[in-house]
Amino acid sequence: MKTVKTLKFNELENLLKGIQKPGRYINHEIGANSKDINKIADFTDIVFTALIFPDVYEIGMSNLGMQILYEIINRRENFSAERVFSPWIDFEKKLRDFNIKLFSLENRIFLDCFDVLGFSVQHEMLYTNILNILDLGNVEIHTRKRKSRFPLVCAGGPAVVNPQPLSKFMDFIVIGDGEEIIVSILEKVKAYKESNKDKSWFLKEIGRLDGVYIPGFYKFYYYRDGRIKSIEPFKKVKKAVVKDLNKFDVVLTPVIPNIKTVHDRFVVEIMRGCSRGCRFCQAGMIYRPVRQRDVNSLIKQSVKGIKSTGYGEISFLSLSTADYKNIGYLLEGITSSPKLNKISISLPSLRLDSFNFHLAELIGSGRRTGLTFAPEAGSQRMRDIVNKNISEEEMMECIKMALGRGWERVKLYFMIGLPFERGEDIERIVVLIKKIINTAKNILPKRSFRRFKINVSINAFCPKPFTPFQWVGQDDTGSLEKKFDYIIKNISKRFVKLSWSNPQKSKIECALSMGNPGICEVIEKAWRGGAKFDNWTDLFDYEIWEKAFRDAELDIGFFTTREIQAGETLPWDIIDIGTGKKFLLKEYEKSRNYN
Amino acid sequence: MRNQEITTENKIRFKFYKKGEYKYLSHLDITRIIIRAIRRTGIKIKYSCGYNPRPKISFSHPTPLGIESEAEYSDVIVSENISGDDFAKVVNLQLIQIKPQMKIMQAKKIGIKSINLMNDISVCLYYFELDASGADENLTCKFTKDLKSKIRSEPNISSSVFDLVTNTDTKNIIFLKLFGYVKIFKSMDNEIFKFNYFLDFFGSLIKNYSMDIYYMRKDEMYVFRNGTLKTPMEVT
Repeated sequence: MKTVKTLKFNELENLLKGIQKPGRYINHEIGANSKDINKIADFTDIVFTALIFPDVYEIGMSNLGMQILYEIINRRENFSAERVFSPWIDFEKKLRDFNIKLFSLENRIFLDCFDVLGFSVQHEMLYTNILNILDLGNVEIHTRKRKSRFPLVCAGGPAVVNPQPLSKFMDFIVIGDGEEIIVSILEKVKAYKESNKDKSWFLKEIGRLDGVYIPGFYKFYYYRDGRIKSIEPFKKVKKAVVKDLNKFDVVLTPVIPNIKTVHDRFVVEIMRGCSRGCRFCQAGMIYRPVRQRDVNSLIKQSVKGIKSTGYGEISFLSLSTADYKNIGYLLEGITSSPKLNKISISLPSLRLDSFNFHLAELIGSGRRTGLTFAPEAGSQRMRDIVNKNISEEEMMECIKMALGRGWERVKLYFMIGLPFERGEDIERIVVLIKKIINTAKNILPKRSFRRFKINVSINAFCPKPFTPFQWVGQDDTGSLEKKFDYIIKNISKRFVKLSWSNPQKSKIECALSMGNPGICEVIEKAWRGGAKFDNWTDLFDYEIWEKAFRDAELDIGFFTTREIQAGETLPWDIIDIGTGKKFLLKEYEKSRNYN
Repeated sequence: MRNQEITTENKIRFKFYKKGEYKYLSHLDITRIIIRAIRRTGIKIKYSCGYNPRPKISFSHPTPLGIESEAEYSDVIVSENISGDDFAKVVNLQLIQIKPQMKIMQAKKIGIKSINLMNDISVCLYYFELDASGADENLTCKFTKDLKSKIRSEPNISSSVFDLVTNTDTKNIIFLKLFGYVKIFKSMDNEIFKFNYFLDFFGSLIKNYSMDIYYMRKDEMYVFRNGTLKTPMEVT
């Protein structure tokens, strides 16, 4: 490659006329430090990677994984990473009308000029956006149709631990932690770029690395009913794991978005993995083992990061923040630091109980917005089944404490359609909500009780690969709707604000996450039918998906409501995620005991 | 917290531009970028008291999205002694990265009780360059003559325009300065100048004279003092 093709600023200006939030498509954020292409003498020296987040800028820029990889790549002399996000519908239309290819933010390099296109895939409902981006970038969506040596197209992130739904589109798929493997891969890309070898040589080379799955190397054989007979060769790919998080500094100079994003704050990952073992939770299984960062260096780096970014808010990230062993010490260290000017702290996924309630107080000094609980189920029986060990007494005690100290809002998360669910489990959700309202009535003074609000969010359970419930069939949409109707009819609308996920969307999410290579065709057909931004409630169109399944001659029920037998070969059996099938089966058995 | 601090309070007024890519950022985005830049310098901004402390910083009227501006103003209260020049120098280091899209051009200490920018600023100046290469001399002449009467015949616009100056000395380019009200004066019976509304009207008007807007920006903002226009930097 002698040079790369870019979009000029005046051409961008033409495109931006009448576009919503044009700040999504411009560059020059603080911290954006990919290589300046005007200073590059020889383009063969540098591997150009597009880090692509297949959702809009505001969501993608809130993702820590993107920032981590961006920093690791751009720190190196011979690598350069630029960011690409899904253009919103209006901008996509402009690009298509003007016949202009999608480009990266930093140097506005057209997608087909990159060496590597790497997608960060956070959930299944982004699959269609991936195809849309490739298409907008003038890159053939099928791996077998991409005959030229570059760009190489790959994906990573939690929604590719089952790599099969994207297997027809990706040259390779990265399973696990990205920090170390990204460098190994890009070094191989550099060698490949300098050589005249063909793509199959390159794929063989990186195929030796832990964490790299190359779909083209495997063949699937099926029974007539659609179940997998065998995967050949049955050579498992081991997840890439960063053993010690402390080897990597937290991202001290992240790209600071110019426009308001979903999470506009300085983010520090304090722990990776979760030891709780909730049986429905995929993150809890696939991010094992639990690794914690050293608390003293965390405090030091947090202070440094807040000063270098200018953020007024810091967020300590993990799957279960209260389980970080030095959480109290960490928070005291930050709140007592004299160097920090008015900093607020947020702790997502803080599992509250009476024991760590003081944490909520410590960070909430000043603002008392709301307390969040995720009991997931209404009855203790059901909580035992899913292994969510939070008891009602504990929760009520904590809520009492909170209400007594000036909190006026409670948020609750529930799931319905869980395995072995009975009518009484749904009834218990209503009972629990009523109990909380009564408690509030007793504790709060009359005036503030009038303002009291519970936000209840209800989601349909969706079985996920690598969880003890991967064999469970999903509840059908009719039954889910009935359960939801029961809840909505029986709770006080005055005190409760109810939100609920569309069960048809959950069904598609389930089918995609449990998919085998056959699902690729469904995704392509849905995308061609106009599906994109499927996670945006107003854009999700079930009929497109239903038609795509019909046209691909696949039964949605096969991937959703069907109960899977323990002996069946699963599409993701080819991946070794760390938690073995035996362990998962044992956990599933345990849950059955509570039935 | 009720620490008894010996409080130094200084109000600094600064003028900055936003151009290039940054013209596509909204007023709120610009606000956040400036606050973060100041925080990065380590200069301590004063915060309001109460449950939800807010930085004591205020800005002049928003510039429409997509328009460059040479004249954005802001007042910030800081709890330390720093000269306007030093403030500009250190904050600029934090604002500029590759090429300056935003930069403080001027800064100075002002009285802590000085009038709020939004209340004080009365007139804003927009600057246009019109491409008149498609129009002959007669048409250009006719345009400058017609312009004022056309504006007068649009009551919504005419009551929002304070003054209008055209310059046709250069061939093929017409320079136009438009002074619009950003504040209502009872005595004048005026309206607030709405940029996008004007642009629609003006854009279709100049098409009749085979002209195009070649470039435009917000050039300055003014306050009234003793019947004359002064910039916010001049009055304190």
